[in-house]
Amino acid sequence: MTIHTIKPSSRRNPVPKPLVSRDCGPSGCEIDWLTSKRVETEDSIEAFTQASLELGWGDGLPLIPPTDARVRAFLSENDRYPDELIAHMPDQSECTVEKIVINAVMAGAAPESLELIIAAIQSITEPDFELYGVNATTASVYPAFVVNGPIRDALNIPYSYGCTGGVATQAVAIGRAIRLIMRNVAGQVAGVTTQTTFGSPGRLAGLLIGEWEEKSPWAPLAERRAGIAGNAITSFGTMGTMNILDTTSQGAMAFLEMIGKSVAYPGANCFSPSMEYSEMMIGLNPICAEIIAAELPRIEDVQEAVWKFSSVPADWLEKHHLGQLEAQGRVRSDGRIYCTPEPKDMILFVCGGLGGLHALGLHSFGSALSQTKPVAAAI
Amino acid sequence: MALIKVLDPTARRADDNASAGPDAGSLVGKRVGFRLDQIWRSWDWISEVWAAKFREAGAEVVFWRSAGRSGDEGERMNAEYQDFLKTIDVSVVGLANCGSCTGWTIRDAIASANAGVPTTAIATKNFEDFAHELAARGGRSGLRVHVLPYPLNELKRDEVEAIGEAYFEGALAAMGASLTAQEKAA
Repeated sequence: MTIHTIKPSSRRNPVPKPLVSRDCGPSGCEIDWLTSKRVETEDSIEAFTQASLELGWGDGLPLIPPTDARVRAFLSENDRYPDELIAHMPDQSECTVEKIVINAVMAGAAPESLELIIAAIQSITEPDFELYGVNATTASVYPAFVVNGPIRDALNIPYSYGCTGGVATQAVAIGRAIRLIMRNVAGQVAGVTTQTTFGSPGRLAGLLIGEWEEKSPWAPLAERRAGIAGNAITSFGTMGTMNILDTTSQGAMAFLEMIGKSVAYPGANCFSPSMEYSEMMIGLNPICAEIIAAELPRIEDVQEAVWKFSSVPADWLEKHHLGQLEAQGRVRSDGRIYCTPEPKDMILFVCGGLGGLHALGLHSFGSALSQTKPVAAAI
Repeated sequence: MALIKVLDPTARRADDNASAGPDAGSLVGKRVGFRLDQIWRSWDWISEVWAAKFREAGAEVVFWRSAGRSGDEGERMNAEYQDFLKTIDVSVVGLANCGSCTGWTIRDAIASANAGVPTTAIATKNFEDFAHELAARGGRSGLRVHVLPYPLNELKRDEVEAIGEAYFEGALAAMGASLTAQEKAA
């Protein structure tokens, strides 16, 4: 057995062309484009929220009733037809623009966020993202999203203080919209279609953060991963946020040693024998990134350095655990098991406040592979 | 209070095949394929117990192990599994013993059933309802599911093998299979 390296597949989520004529435009004719079933409820947020819980539509927080008027108003500020099929979900249910907009209205997301939400859905429904496993698992996984480009500021996607949670921005509603789509269209409902043992706060409003490109010594994440300059989104199935505190290190290698060793522990997804390979994502704060880049200007060298530290000695593992990893050929000639197959699989980006001191660890789920998509221009 | 109408935010596939699919029938002279995974050694052990009994009855037994389902590995796995299905007469697919592995087990079982192969998915008790839910959402609500006790993988090998013995008749019933030349209804 040899180390199984990660290469993307050529598979894509097939989406057929719409059958309805577009001749008269989304608002220019008398067709009732909205095909979703109408349900009668009392005219209040409280009543609708309660009804949503009973109908299995809600997440427990207050919801805005998705009336025809609200859904049409949202659509009118975009250039998408409601019946446009964006993706097939794992059970082959169809995620149309209409369903996306209904859930976005419920979450309180702004119409300007539609293209970002669509790109997010497109990214997680690519076969390599393994949404089928992400949805069903006992793990706490949820999709995290890193946004690049000017859309970060246009939509107030946080990339500085409190970017992974706590800062009051539009990103919370956008993240919640994506989560409601995951629940209502992709079918990720705890105890019904997902067996998540503990779940995660991230399953409520998601994790939607920007990369602080202006403070990064390296090219933006989407450009490095997919050659996309400008607005783009990178999805990553994560088990949750991990904080790595470092008040003592000096210099690039010391910081990277602390980060690498901290993310490497037996129960981390990277070291599970459930699959042969996985990725790891790490957010570097701008202060730390600047110190690292002074010594290691190339991001590839940073990835290699942190990768070398993110390993565990094979003989440290429990015997059954080790036995399965040995069978997969994951014990290297130095007697260690590494977090990812190759340094390139350590995905690095820059975010966080200027207080420094902390790094962000985002452990992956299973062999789900991160995906990067461009965000289409809105009207 | 005034009433309003709101739009349903949910989507779910509309089609369903409620059929369990064909019985496996007499296993004599047939090629029985086990779908294994990388996680559950208990399923390896039980499949070996059952495979020995199938062979004694005159069946040929082959195994296919699911590994990574993403990237080029996932592409290769899918192609390999489709090829595997073309070579077998009966399919036993496991093990639904966690969330994602129930997902993949049921997905692979549905692929097998949709290919016309008599198929039975194997789940542990805790994931029984989940297996049926995913089968229904996958468009095969009638998928055969045989249920083993839970927890299972935490047991020692001799204990797991004893369970394999104890649940073998149930597996045959779920498959609609017999070990003699005579057909036996499920």
